[in-house]
Amino acid sequence: MLSLLGSAGMVVALIGAGLLVARGIRASRNDHRANLAGAARVLLAGAVTSMAALVLALLTDDFSLVYTANHHSSATPFPFDVATAWGALEGSIVLWGLVLAGYTWFAFRRFRRSPDRLGAAALAVMGAVAIFFFGLMVTVANPFEVCVEALEAGCSRSSPWPFAAVDAPVNGPGPNPLLQNHFMMAVHPPVLYLGYVGMTVPFAYAIGALALGVAGPEWLRRSHRSTLVAWSFLTLGILLGGWWAYEVLSWGGYWAWDPVENASLMPWLVATAFLHSGIVQQRRGMLQAWNFILVISTFSLTILGTFLTRSGTINSVHSFTQSAIGPALLGFLVLTLAGSFVLFSTRADLVASSPRLESFVSREGAFLVNNLLLSVYAFIVLIGTTYPLVLEAFTGTQVGVGEPFFNRLAVPLSFLLLLVMGFGPVTPWRASAPGVVWRRVRNPAVVGLAAGVLTALLVSRNGWVASSITLGVFVLGTLVGLLIEQVGRRTAKTGETAAEATRKVVTGDGAFWAGQLSHAGVVLIAIGIAFAANLGTHAQVEMQPGESTVFEGYTITYESPFQQTLPGKTIVGARLSVTRGDQFVGLVEPSWNFFGAQSAVGTPDVLHRPDGDLYFTLDDLPEDAGDVVGFSFDTSPLIWVLWLGGLVTVVGGFLAMRARRSERRPAGERPTVDV
Amino acid sequence: MSERLRNILTVAVMLALAGVLVVLVATNPTSADRVESIGERIKCPVCQGESIANSPSQMAQDMMALVQERVEDGLSDEAIIDELLFSYSGAVLLDPPAGGSTLILWLAPVGALVVGAGVILWWRSHPGATPTDAGPPEHSRVRRLAPLLILGGAFAVIIVVAGFFLQERAGPASGVANLAGQDLDEVSNETMEAVVAANVDHPQVDGMRLALAERYYESGDFRSAFPHYLAVAESPDATDQQALTALIRLGWMAWEGNREVETAVGLLDQALAIDEDSDTARYLKAQVLWCGAGDTEQAGELLEEVLSDPELADDSRELIQSDLDAIRSGASCT
Repeated sequence: MLSLLGSAGMVVALIGAGLLVARGIRASRNDHRANLAGAARVLLAGAVTSMAALVLALLTDDFSLVYTANHHSSATPFPFDVATAWGALEGSIVLWGLVLAGYTWFAFRRFRRSPDRLGAAALAVMGAVAIFFFGLMVTVANPFEVCVEALEAGCSRSSPWPFAAVDAPVNGPGPNPLLQNHFMMAVHPPVLYLGYVGMTVPFAYAIGALALGVAGPEWLRRSHRSTLVAWSFLTLGILLGGWWAYEVLSWGGYWAWDPVENASLMPWLVATAFLHSGIVQQRRGMLQAWNFILVISTFSLTILGTFLTRSGTINSVHSFTQSAIGPALLGFLVLTLAGSFVLFSTRADLVASSPRLESFVSREGAFLVNNLLLSVYAFIVLIGTTYPLVLEAFTGTQVGVGEPFFNRLAVPLSFLLLLVMGFGPVTPWRASAPGVVWRRVRNPAVVGLAAGVLTALLVSRNGWVASSITLGVFVLGTLVGLLIEQVGRRTAKTGETAAEATRKVVTGDGAFWAGQLSHAGVVLIAIGIAFAANLGTHAQVEMQPGESTVFEGYTITYESPFQQTLPGKTIVGARLSVTRGDQFVGLVEPSWNFFGAQSAVGTPDVLHRPDGDLYFTLDDLPEDAGDVVGFSFDTSPLIWVLWLGGLVTVVGGFLAMRARRSERRPAGERPTVDV
Repeated sequence: MSERLRNILTVAVMLALAGVLVVLVATNPTSADRVESIGERIKCPVCQGESIANSPSQMAQDMMALVQERVEDGLSDEAIIDELLFSYSGAVLLDPPAGGSTLILWLAPVGALVVGAGVILWWRSHPGATPTDAGPPEHSRVRRLAPLLILGGAFAVIIVVAGFFLQERAGPASGVANLAGQDLDEVSNETMEAVVAANVDHPQVDGMRLALAERYYESGDFRSAFPHYLAVAESPDATDQQALTALIRLGWMAWEGNREVETAVGLLDQALAIDEDSDTARYLKAQVLWCGAGDTEQAGELLEEVLSDPELADDSRELIQSDLDAIRSGASCT
């Protein structure tokens, strides 16, 4: 029954996507009879129906679906049963389709308010992308196949035909234990997908503009704003992913340059470059061709990322052909790249003219350096991630490219970006007298260096730590200095109070100051990473119940082992009390979580302290009460600064989006491609 | 205070602070944890791209314990890494050396930076024709794209050529690690000689020595095979199986090449001391005793022992049976 409903949903969505393409193309040719509303509604309804059918199947333990039979268990509690809907390959494509249909709906609502050819063409492009993903769902990644040969827990043979004779197992093995160990797994993927799939919207406007032959400022305005939406979600998604890894995976880290992480970082870097270079085009009319390239690259990188993470290629080059989804995604990627760039090159004359860059000492000059660094950054991540795969595929030689490679290249590059971040916002547009920039950076530079020296004297003489403080204080100092300068000018002119003037200055250029808030967030991220990565300490100890050990000034006592049975999982752990001097700090319970018959998942416990986290992991399983058990203790100094910085960055992104939305179009300027 | 004086003072303070900072950082006394830093360079075989220092998996922890032990033994980083790469299949270096097949990986980012900067400089001096002085679109498009294509092409050519030349120079491989994960069949004898020579004291070199010796042996080049078999037989790090193979080969070569009966029997006895049930050693010893010493009695006993092995292959059984029959009938060795 649910198989039928879900299958119907995805077929309906596929039809809606097809209609959207056909009618979008007609509307983009000024055909007023084309009705896009029906197509957009059908697409959304189909996508919602298929996701609803899948979630319902999981909530009602309907094991007649292969997806439920293989990835769900009746013991899985809420919200992990719902999260299972995107915990495996087929379900993740359903989520992708739903998010894409949602974005298409928002793009359609915008189109309905002010219909124009560009909006229609963009909807057609989004329809085409939807055809691919719903096509994928109907053919090679069908989540609504029914089970026709049950195993004890799971399914061994399936049929895509919803009316096939069902042989449903009584229960399934349940989702991957790692995914049901923390509620964040229910939140992180949808947020990440809001970012990933959101990159389709700017791409659709770019392709629409190229196809219509109108490369004016309108596509850029829309692409830029929609990139802000997707970028903010992507930032949040990456942040949540890092936090999940830290809280759930017992290694005390948050980022390992793992291919799955890199897959999300690459579009983020290129989208970040576009957020900056888009401003240059809006303000100065420059970099038109480059902006097209960035938008197309961002979308292509999301497809590449999906290919890398969803085709199994990362585990082994050889698993690539085991599922048709790998070749399908790779084919779509090649098609997207080839199609976009052929279209782009046939329209090269459109994006020809641009004013001359008068001086490198200018805002646009700083943006150029920023774009160069971010592009090279993305390229490093791209080549480091794909090189082992390509090399093994063609020569059979295995090389590993991991943390040391990325850190060696990306860390210096990140510091360079921080430095540019200090200069960029205080550099005026067009040619500026070097004296202006110098006057704005000299005091922050002195303060930054002094802060760096103080850090080296009082905290640590580690070079990365001191540099992060130096550059961070420098960047923040330039921002504060700029604000003081503008507020001072305003109070002198209008006689307002400082608070009033500050409010007016910030709201007067909301997008700029929201961007600076994100910059401040990035500074905090850099400081958090530098401290946690370089000043963390680690110890491994073995203790019997009642024994104590001293770690970093804390006395840690192994009180007792414990066992706890909850719905869906059994927890076996150790209870530790932590004191500092006479002061009780906290009780922690690092543990192992057992999910049914599946392997156990080590679960750390963390004490959050103002100077950083104490991170506890249980290395062995305490079987008898008196057993000697191994523990790992870690410190992560100032790691909360990293999470705070991430949140600040995200908030800056959303504020910039709001500021741009409320920016009124300059009087008299109408979209160049209105019907 | 004049603006000029203020600037001079600011620069002086900046330089002084920067100088102090550099000195403080450069004289940082902390010593990096060697165990950790080695662990971070090795990919955990059972994880996705995680290093053994970061992975909580049992195998990674075992490997880290091994690293700890070796560091305490005072081995060099390279020796420890080589051992890990050899002993754990699937463990690969996460920090690939700039050379050979990974050269492009290191060159490409630098190339991208250079090309990117080049494009920006070029773009600045050719900021695009304004619409008024643009030629026919076709013409301007070609003009616009040509330099990009040339730059991109040049970049690709530089990378490929540099990679090609440096790869040639990088070989023959100088570390055992360079051959880990590679099919030894594709490695030339010369390369293997070079690797073995460069790693004489390396505990993991015996496997490669043996493989090389086997190649010489099979091609009949006993003279080249001999020193390698001998080194394996005498190596304290060789496994029993490696030592057994080496001793058996040495024994047979002593007889077959030099007709030294006593040496041959002595070596084969050493092999039997490692594995008293080795059929090959017993069979070859029987051959040497029979053909070299005419000791048909002991040779017959040995062959009978071999025949009593239920796992003996049928064709071997036939051959040995015919030898045994010949010995029993008093025939001389063929």
